[in-house]
Amino acid sequence: MLRPDINDLLTQTGPGTPMGELFRRYWQPVLHTDELPEDGCPPVRVKILSERLIAVRTPEGEYGLMDEFCAHRGVSLWFGRVEEGGIRCPYHGWKYAADGQAIDVPSELNNSEFCKNVKLRSYPLVKVGDLLWSYLGDPAKQPPLPEWEFATVPSEQTFTSKRFQECNWLQALEGGIDSSHVTWLHGGGPNGDGLEADPLFAGARGNQYNKGDLKPYFEIVERDGGLLIGARRNAEEGHYYWRVTPWVLPNFTMVPPRGDHSLHGHFWVPIDDENCWAWSFDYHPVRPLTAAERDAMKGGAGVHSKNVPGTYRPVANKDNDYLIDREKQRTGEWFSGVEGIAIQDSSLQESMGPIVDRTKERLVATDVGIIKARQKLRRAAEALRDYGTEPLGNRPAHQRIRSVAVVLPADQSFVEGSGEAFDARPGVAQTSV
Amino acid sequence: MAEPSPVSRCARAATAKEAAYRIDYPLAYARSTRVVAFDDEAARTVRAVMDEPWGQAQFYSAPGPGHELLTVAGEARPLAGELADSDSVIMVATNRVNAEAVATVGAAAQVRAIMTAGLLMADEDGLTGETFMAIRPYARILLAPADQDDLVELLRAIRA
Repeated sequence: MLRPDINDLLTQTGPGTPMGELFRRYWQPVLHTDELPEDGCPPVRVKILSERLIAVRTPEGEYGLMDEFCAHRGVSLWFGRVEEGGIRCPYHGWKYAADGQAIDVPSELNNSEFCKNVKLRSYPLVKVGDLLWSYLGDPAKQPPLPEWEFATVPSEQTFTSKRFQECNWLQALEGGIDSSHVTWLHGGGPNGDGLEADPLFAGARGNQYNKGDLKPYFEIVERDGGLLIGARRNAEEGHYYWRVTPWVLPNFTMVPPRGDHSLHGHFWVPIDDENCWAWSFDYHPVRPLTAAERDAMKGGAGVHSKNVPGTYRPVANKDNDYLIDREKQRTGEWFSGVEGIAIQDSSLQESMGPIVDRTKERLVATDVGIIKARQKLRRAAEALRDYGTEPLGNRPAHQRIRSVAVVLPADQSFVEGSGEAFDARPGVAQTSV
Repeated sequence: MAEPSPVSRCARAATAKEAAYRIDYPLAYARSTRVVAFDDEAARTVRAVMDEPWGQAQFYSAPGPGHELLTVAGEARPLAGELADSDSVIMVATNRVNAEAVATVGAAAQVRAIMTAGLLMADEDGLTGETFMAIRPYARILLAPADQDDLVELLRAIRA
């Protein structure tokens, strides 16, 4: 259980809230580059951390992210016309540069003087990898650009999708940290193939260890910037199979790899307090993704989802009960009756309600990873609020991290036994079983 | 693929408005928890948290081979009796861990299918491999390094 005030602290991310201010110390993914595909393309609405913004790409190729609404009468600039040097409101012709500065107010006689005093709130919008990232905090505290490996490998080695999830960000994040649900929710029913049925997981030796030991042990270890959450299962005599999930503050998680399949993970980005983006990425550190892998990802396999065309809302969503198949659930082909890892997660996390009341939960010891992550988030938010302490996780050193799957002798800890496996090293393959 | 439900239940059940009307009733303490310190430093941590208003949690140290636990009042109690109505054991230790007692208590918990969690408190030199090795086989979940707050938050979270 969690006290109501702490639940509020962790789940509220709007401007001025402690967790909102914490988030505003990190670069966050905002758009896929495909959403602003060319110079001078139409603007895109962005809502993040409860702020309504508009993203533009000027004819000169400059990216900008600014307040969605015109300073004059509050018209949405989504209706605006992208022109040389910025975007013009269609109502009375006010024009803004990519940094939100008004540069033309046609009705004013002394146009340039008036403009000086009109500036929309704006934030940097920067391309790193295939994504556009923004930093919504104090410019003086802006950290270096993100260096997550999925965003820094060549484009042919990486794939990122996103889906709209209709619940608070923390519910989604906790699913990413909670390794103990995998055996059940994603493991397949007694008559199903479970992970073997997914082309992005099939064939890995690790899948057999998963099936052979349904009651893993867990080990939670602190690491600069977050936690390593290790799940330990029996392997060959005298050995354990470890699957280790990194979490980096505040909202980055990775899934342990399987065989030579790509690595994958998530960013859980608050849209507002009742919705979030689940950014899902796959990448291989040393080889291009194959056409078959890319097709599978686009088709909703692995951690990705099949979305309604033209949107980021999954085809299986709460309006259609996630297309639950009771027959497959009954026969044990799919444990939950819902198809696909992403929707298996979202269906249950959204069913908890927009913001789950954690005062009513009954946690168990295997939830220690979640308990510890909440504690670290709370401490980071309070330290920033009370003492101005800069949080961990927003430095490249904390971002050069990988998940790991490894078989180790029983007397070795996963930290020592894995050596540099947790470090993202260019040109070095992942450690996986 | 199943046909969509004609009238969605999920869509209605997962709104903020609906959430306000969920059945509200007091929850019982869920766990009968035993917190055992396996060395003097760990015992200090356990004593520091035991005065909070816990439900059914009970606190001990394990100074000998572990067949008897010592209550905070200094009373020796047979391990088997103390585990009889327990459903979770939290093992607290530092680098000075009494490994023999851990093995005794851990094995007794495993035989009884009692959930175990281990919290390892680090000193300035960190935690040694021996400390991990002593507790790892017996803790279903292990948190390292842990501190006093972790113990409090774990006990609160599981409604001990």
